[in-house]
Amino acid sequence: MAQNVPPGTVAASDSNKNNNERAIAGRDSHSVSKRLQHELMTLMISMDKGISAFPDGDNLFKWVGTLTGPASTVYEGLSYRLSLEFPSSYPYAAPTVKFITSCFHPNVDLHGNICLDILKEKWSASYDVRAILLSIQSLLGEPNNDSPLNGHAAELWANQVAYKKHLLEHYKKANGESK
Amino acid sequence: MKVKIKSWTGVATWRWVANDDSCGICRMPFDGCCSDCRLPGDDCPLVWGQCSHCFHIHCIMKWLQSQQLHQQCPMCRQEWKFKE
Repeated sequence: MAQNVPPGTVAASDSNKNNNERAIAGRDSHSVSKRLQHELMTLMISMDKGISAFPDGDNLFKWVGTLTGPASTVYEGLSYRLSLEFPSSYPYAAPTVKFITSCFHPNVDLHGNICLDILKEKWSASYDVRAILLSIQSLLGEPNNDSPLNGHAAELWANQVAYKKHLLEHYKKANGESK
Repeated sequence: MKVKIKSWTGVATWRWVANDDSCGICRMPFDGCCSDCRLPGDDCPLVWGQCSHCFHIHCIMKWLQSQQLHQQCPMCRQEWKFKE
């Protein structure tokens, strides 16, 4: 119905006033849900290789994402689970993204916190879950070793053979423990 | 045959002329309204930046208000200036 109302018509919005006031309390979370539902649909349609995400249970504000290590990097063949928590101000504020699967990486700490500019000061409202997961995926193969959260990983990075050995041991141990 | 028109009703359609189908912030189609509004049209207009990116006015205002240091376009990070 709304689509056929010409610009400048105010008669209809008068009758909506009461409804609007009542709706204001739930308004923010409503528009966030709307956007998250939209993102879920585009993610499912796009079928990107190596990334996926889905709401964790009934709560649309908490998702679990999965990504696989990029090809021809030491992370190739490994798969990681992440948690994404969306604030009620999403997409004006970034979601909190953490690794659930323990990840040995210069820019990931022992608790799974990720140091990535687009999740902090470089966040933009035009980013979405897909952009976040693709960025983290490429971060795996291209760490920023100048500001590491994991100093050991940053030092070891220069020696890719030793790095891969340590990475695989870490990955096996972490997966063994979590299952 | 002779036709006599007794009355008529004009019908017009309208749409925004934007370079994109949907708003990069709320992901709603430009021909609809932002996710906070109920009616598309003058109550929920589009605005353009000098960088030529376009958003629902409610969406870009919320974004600019949430930015502390720089007022940047969410798409290209250029300084946001409204196009006259």
